[in-house]
Amino acid sequence: MTPALEIRALRKSFGKPAVDGLDLTVSPGETYALLGPNGAGKSTTLRMIAGLLPADAGEIRVFGVDARRHPVEAKRLVAWLPDEPQLYDKLDPTEYLEFVAGLWGVEPALARRRADELLESLGLAEQRRQRCEGFSKGMRQKVALAGALIHEPKLLMLDEPLTGLDAASARQVKDILAARVAAGAAIVLTTHILEVAERIATRIGILARGKLVAEGTFETLRAGRADATLEDVFLDVTRAA
Amino acid sequence: MFLRLVALDLRLGWRGLSAPVQDKSPAFRAGAVLALVLALHAVAWPVGLYLGARESGDFPALVARTGALFVLPWAIASPMSALARLLAQRGDLDLLLASPLSARAIFPARLLALALEAVSPATLLLGPLADVCALQGRPHWLALYPALLGAGLIGAGLGAGAALALAFALGPRRARVVSQLAAAAVGGSAALAAQAAAFLPEGARWRLAASLPDLLTLPERAALGEPGPLAAWVALALAGFALAAVALAQPFARAALLAAGAYGGAGRAEAPRFTADLATALRRKEHRLLWRDPWLLSQMGLQALYTLPIAFILWRNGGVTAQPGVAFAPTLVVIAGQFSASLAWIALCAEDAPDFVATAPATRRQIERAKIAAIAVPVACVMALPLAGLALASPRAAAVAAVCGAGAGVSGALLMLWRQAPARRGMVLRRHSQGKLVALAEHWLSLCWAAATGMAALGHVAALAPFALVVLTLWFARPARAAIIPVFTQG
Repeated sequence: MTPALEIRALRKSFGKPAVDGLDLTVSPGETYALLGPNGAGKSTTLRMIAGLLPADAGEIRVFGVDARRHPVEAKRLVAWLPDEPQLYDKLDPTEYLEFVAGLWGVEPALARRRADELLESLGLAEQRRQRCEGFSKGMRQKVALAGALIHEPKLLMLDEPLTGLDAASARQVKDILAARVAAGAAIVLTTHILEVAERIATRIGILARGKLVAEGTFETLRAGRADATLEDVFLDVTRAA
Repeated sequence: MFLRLVALDLRLGWRGLSAPVQDKSPAFRAGAVLALVLALHAVAWPVGLYLGARESGDFPALVARTGALFVLPWAIASPMSALARLLAQRGDLDLLLASPLSARAIFPARLLALALEAVSPATLLLGPLADVCALQGRPHWLALYPALLGAGLIGAGLGAGAALALAFALGPRRARVVSQLAAAAVGGSAALAAQAAAFLPEGARWRLAASLPDLLTLPERAALGEPGPLAAWVALALAGFALAAVALAQPFARAALLAAGAYGGAGRAEAPRFTADLATALRRKEHRLLWRDPWLLSQMGLQALYTLPIAFILWRNGGVTAQPGVAFAPTLVVIAGQFSASLAWIALCAEDAPDFVATAPATRRQIERAKIAAIAVPVACVMALPLAGLALASPRAAAVAAVCGAGAGVSGALLMLWRQAPARRGMVLRRHSQGKLVALAEHWLSLCWAAATGMAALGHVAALAPFALVVLTLWFARPARAAIIPVFTQG
């Protein structure tokens, strides 16, 4: 089966290495949590996959498409959700989704139906005609997520997707993401809330100084320490790195 | 606490003003300020001598009246617009209102900062003139400083009062738009009034001036240094400011509470219009964002309004420029170039979600091309009516203006495309502070297009010379020559 994401020897340096020879494979139907302390290279990695940063070296393949040589083809398959939602304050959620659907060339009738479904399932139906300028951080995050999902991406890269969401909204988002994964999409997410990774990720990778220092399911990362939390594992691994 | 808050506001204002040299050393900044002050005084010196030679008669009164005509509306419009923006954008307002400070402590400080901010451009421009006139033996010119301060204090009270009244009458959401449009109209009224006055016959102009009540001539007489009117003007300003500071403090706090969360109401009634076309999606987005930002549009409109008097002066001056085509066609072309450059800057440099748009499955060139195409429509709409008017007077000049206007629009947009420097949308009028050489190139292109238009309207083949300069400038500005026009971005 073609991996959803395949990264080989990926490098990026800003004077000093930010991502240093990263190898990573994520399969369709998998939720992969990329963890790491601040400055470990998580967001840089996501930005390179999204085509926002040119890599210095290495390979990025999205469902077999070489993202460095054919970025436009790769971008059709990918959605990127930044930690700070990038919205237009003067547009309302429906208009925002119109715009995003247009960028990805989604057929209008289909886009309209998906927009309605997404706004409904994210609890934004009542605000669909209100401009985003008055929205709370959580609402903005949900609008941005709807934008990321409207073109039904096969690979979702989510930078801190649950930040700012209340418990009910976080549950809505997790349910939607689980449905996408069940439909065959893959998710790569970063988070500082380790419980989130522990609960929703099928595999976890820990980055430190641009290198993948640990990877596996939560169980394999615990390596027999039944009482260890992900926080314990994370601190042990990153300190050792 | 009052002084501390004023100092904080002024410091923030100064940082905004000195942003282009913010990353330089204190010695460099001090040197730059000193050099600027000396340069302004050097420029003002011959103007001072010119004014000195005409000190007798009605000329000084005319100068003071003209100055007052421009300064007073601006002194009202600037705080009005700034207060509406403050209520909408909040800034540090939430922090201040959440502190144990009362509104009576916060508002006067903010009002004073608005007053000083409103008259600082005029002070920067006219202050050196007052100084050199004083040095040339006419110390009464120093009265300009207290007169300007008075204008700022009175203007701040009136502007803030109007903005708050609108906030209560219309609700904060509508008031924000109306305040900004009203402020633009008030600010632009000086230019319109000056033009209207210029069209009156000489005698009628003086009769009108003579019929003005004493109170209305108070600011001009204060600026001329007449002791009585100066004292009265300053006293009136201080009393007006104190009254506004006390009376408007509580309404300000109430308006701030009213405005909190008042934004983001109903956006539109139209049915959703989904499209699968990238260019259409980008065009709709750009048009919606522009249309929904009346402040931005009004500011760009004001720029155009302030350019028009040049055309009227040229027209009335007689000679070769007395033909409406020759006087107005270059002005229209300059406006088209500026408008196009501003819109291109907004679409390309002030994109609110640049990273997100960059993740779309399209090349950067496709996105940029769609954005440039999106700005062509508003530029064409703005130019259509004046061109039609010009066509009635001179079809040939209108045709030349249309062609050169399109050229100026394209060259302005290309310059912005090739010299992109990310910034916030609201900085559109200060975009020239981002890249000095780009600003210079933009003005140079406008000048060349104006010259080419004027000559072409007269039927001179020499019009090709400035056109060649346009091509040469763009050739040097193209991306391959990135080192020639570096962009100095803000920190």
